[in-house]
Amino acid sequence: MVELKYNIKKRAPIITLISVIVFFALIGRLMYWQFIKGAELKSGAIQQQTLDSVVSSKRGIIYDRNGKVLAQSISVQTVTASPAEVKKSGKADEISETLAKILGKDEDDIKKQITKNSSYEIVARKIDNEKAEKIRKAELKGIYLIEDSKRTYPYSSLASHVIGFVGTDNQGLNGIEMVYDKYLKGMPGRMIRSKSASGTEMPFEYEKYINPENGANLVLTIDEVIQHFVEEELKQAVADYDVENGAACIIMNAKTGEILAMATYPDYDLNAPFTLPEDIEKELDELKGDEYDKAYSERLNKLWRNKAVVDSYEPGSTFKPFTAAMALEENLVSTNEFFSCSGGLQVNDYYIRCWKSGGHGQVSFAEGFENSCNPVFMNLGARVGAERFIKYYKKFGFMDTTGFDLPGEATGSFHSASRFNDVEIATSSFGQTFIITPLQLITAYTAITNGGVMVRPHIAKELVDDDGNVIKKFETEIIRQAISKETADTIRDILEGVVENGTSKNAFIRGYRLAGKTGTSEKFPRGNGKYVASFVGFAPANDPEIIGLIMLDEPMGESHMGGAIAAPTFKKIFDEVLRYMDIEPQFTEADLLITDKPVPNVEGLGISELAKAFGGTGLKYNILGKGDTVVSQVPKGGATLAEGSTVAIYTEKVASDTVVVPDVKGMTATDANITLTNAGLNMKVSGAADTGQGSATVSVQTPEAGTELQRGSPVSVEFSFSNVH
Amino acid sequence: MSLKSKLSQGRKKEKNDIDNVDYSLLVIILMLLCFGLVMVFSASSANAHYVQGDATYFFKRQLIWAVAGLLIMWFVSQFSYKKIKQYANLLFTITIVMLILVPFIGIKINGARRWLGFGSLTFQPSEFAKLTLVLFLAKSISIFPGRTKQLTNGYIRYFIIIVAVAGLVLLQPHMSGAIVIAMGGVAVLFAAGYKIRYFVITAMGALPALLALAIMSPYRLKRITSFLDPFADKLGESWQIVQSLYAIGSGGLFGMGLGQSRQKFLYIPEPQNDFIFAIICEELGFIGAVFVIFLFALLIWKGIMIAKDAPDEFAALTATGITSLVAVQVLMNIAVVSSMMPVTGVPLPFFSYGGSSLVILLIEMGILLNISRYTKKTR
Repeated sequence: MVELKYNIKKRAPIITLISVIVFFALIGRLMYWQFIKGAELKSGAIQQQTLDSVVSSKRGIIYDRNGKVLAQSISVQTVTASPAEVKKSGKADEISETLAKILGKDEDDIKKQITKNSSYEIVARKIDNEKAEKIRKAELKGIYLIEDSKRTYPYSSLASHVIGFVGTDNQGLNGIEMVYDKYLKGMPGRMIRSKSASGTEMPFEYEKYINPENGANLVLTIDEVIQHFVEEELKQAVADYDVENGAACIIMNAKTGEILAMATYPDYDLNAPFTLPEDIEKELDELKGDEYDKAYSERLNKLWRNKAVVDSYEPGSTFKPFTAAMALEENLVSTNEFFSCSGGLQVNDYYIRCWKSGGHGQVSFAEGFENSCNPVFMNLGARVGAERFIKYYKKFGFMDTTGFDLPGEATGSFHSASRFNDVEIATSSFGQTFIITPLQLITAYTAITNGGVMVRPHIAKELVDDDGNVIKKFETEIIRQAISKETADTIRDILEGVVENGTSKNAFIRGYRLAGKTGTSEKFPRGNGKYVASFVGFAPANDPEIIGLIMLDEPMGESHMGGAIAAPTFKKIFDEVLRYMDIEPQFTEADLLITDKPVPNVEGLGISELAKAFGGTGLKYNILGKGDTVVSQVPKGGATLAEGSTVAIYTEKVASDTVVVPDVKGMTATDANITLTNAGLNMKVSGAADTGQGSATVSVQTPEAGTELQRGSPVSVEFSFSNVH
Repeated sequence: MSLKSKLSQGRKKEKNDIDNVDYSLLVIILMLLCFGLVMVFSASSANAHYVQGDATYFFKRQLIWAVAGLLIMWFVSQFSYKKIKQYANLLFTITIVMLILVPFIGIKINGARRWLGFGSLTFQPSEFAKLTLVLFLAKSISIFPGRTKQLTNGYIRYFIIIVAVAGLVLLQPHMSGAIVIAMGGVAVLFAAGYKIRYFVITAMGALPALLALAIMSPYRLKRITSFLDPFADKLGESWQIVQSLYAIGSGGLFGMGLGQSRQKFLYIPEPQNDFIFAIICEELGFIGAVFVIFLFALLIWKGIMIAKDAPDEFAALTATGITSLVAVQVLMNIAVVSSMMPVTGVPLPFFSYGGSSLVILLIEMGILLNISRYTKKTR
């Protein structure tokens, strides 16, 4: 027994020793994994345990200056599939059938996709919530809905070239959406979730959740109402004057450079920016394959072009004010100087014609402006000379981009200094042989409207957060003082005269002091019959608040002249805009003569009371019948008549006292008024007219001649000028 | 003195010698058991939730087995261990019969036929074999003390018996069970005092044999290659071990916190079973893992002390055998989990989920406690 005890006593230490060694080995091994290899293993573990997903941020809303929504993102769903799970469920057929029904897609295509050998498939992008709800309710195995957003443009094509659009990943691709993408898109967040081996979420707190930062909302300087006026009128003009290469218009706040409207026609639907309009699509019918694709993208790119910013053209006569400004600024001309126009000017080897064959004869500086007489400006250009011409040309910003926010701004092109000789100076002085963009031109005009100070055009007003707090304001920037205030004001006043008396008469708006200049230029190559008709104008002339430019590219109708087609369109736009903007009308004396006056209601009054009732109304009356009290009157009380018109007063009941409307078309205002008054009717002027001037004639009368009207009724007449450049 | 008084005196003396169980050992056992239950709950909850639909599925069952096992342990510790010696041969014979029956009526799970029983009431005869072989060897050697000096009649005879039992288990197939059984048996022989060179020669012979066994079976070979470079095929053969290492590595010094294991979410298959130690490392870190190892070390040290101070040869060898069984399983389990040896399914005593192995373990602990009452205290 003793011996046996000896055995275990002898062996126990050995067993203990072995155990100790083994345990230390185990601990050592653990230290190796946990400390030396720890970080590596941990990252491996985290990688397999986590699911890093992007939490998309809400893209900011784009507003017009009055808070109307021009672009916003709405919540939609994207349908994804986990093919492994679909296959595992064994219901691939049923699932594809249900999906096909809800999504309106081909069942076989869906089945092919959701049983693919991949871990993730996108079945349908950006479906509306109604469809998403159906899919959710169907509880399809392996089919998931992912929150997504879709950009919508409530006004579809409104300001399409300004706003631009986004791609499927909500990245801005054009216009404002592209330029201000960094503000609008926000910062997408991240959600790092724990994931079990089967892919489901583990019940732990999110390991990391980085909040998405919603994009800022952008308020534009655009006014939806003005934009709408402009687009309607552009569309009308393109149709009326058969404008082939599109039209553009800019309306800008003359003092701040804020763009109130910027339009290019044809426009496109922002909700489907990659779809060509049917009529354009038709042109591509014959093409196939690559040719079709190339033509398609060419057409799309043309459709997306923001002409007002991207397209350069010869400004023609709209440039003349700058030539005049150069000469005035350098004291090379006085406003009461006279020039003679013989219908052209010999410059070196060239005889450069005035637009009016036979010439304007003796014209004053201002008259030269009003008649847009080319030799006057060639004279001025020659006095300015190459060096100074280029100096001012640069000062007016024609060699630089304006620094406008929208993309693709062009700088146009001008003669190189070495080749800018007498002939080039002569043609350049009336706005030909060089090209600039509409935006450059309107920006240069701000020097004239703002006492010589040019302001930078801009279209972003401010960034606001979702609570309406302003994050960033885009302030007005001054580009430079291009000319002196005196020069600017002189040109400004002369331009008002151009509208009142000159080539821009068709832009005249009663009650507003409008200034502006027409332009017509023949496109290269000369003689191809393609023109650009344009007009630049501002109002009120004494203190300009808004400035506008319209450009009609390749009008193929009866007239291609700026004064004949661009000015009337401009007038219609400005008429609406000025009234909409509540700019106080300033009536001139001439205007007041034909100011509408309300007709007093005198029915039931005694004849003796009539004088008092009409006192101060500016209207006359004509008593018909032998009664003592007024039985009826034409027009009725509350109607308006031009000042000096006559109201027919009946003191007896008359069955019918009608007169026949005479034809006054083609008559001057004075003649028309006399004719109508003699017929017992009243003239009511609508539309453009300056009855004080002899040159306007009646173009439209309502009702037509021959209609029977009750005595005293108003006849509407519209005047227009036929002999304008 | 009359025979009767001699007898009564002896009985009295005997009674005076019987102490209460070794309380420090009891505390270690209870600590390991409670710790094990907590970890079973933590490790199994995710798996239980996803697979069984009840997060406490495994915990509840393990708790029941633990309570039952504690009662049995207490019962086993109370009567004289000599009674166990009386039944040792019978128990061993029953075990052999069961092991022979397993290939015929055993229940096959995951390609191996290791279980006997029906329905949800199943047990592994190999678990019994671990204990009954130790008891049988201890009894035999204590009855024939002369054999400790003999090679053929002693060492080789016992070694053949050990290899026979291990072989039966290996046939199931149950490589790790066979290794544990063999190591337990050999430990008894070692404690019995056989010459050390016998063991060295045995080991030199066993290694090529094990290698041959491994090469013969393709799945074992794969396990060996994947052990050598676990990350080469981390989605295939090495999935388990790579996941285990991810868990261990994620733990760092202090761990992710109790219940915070990520790897138990279906990454480690059946995390409550053989790889529970990886979860301990992940949740409680190096500190927790070393604490567990420390508890096992204390238990083993206690077992060796009890064996050293045992009142007789049978008790000494039984204590050594039982302690060795625990030690070998702990060693193999942690070695597998930490990629020190190829993957083989050895449960971690007290921690791994499993009713029959826990009850057998607690019976073993009962025997150890029983013997502790008879140790000669060297106060």
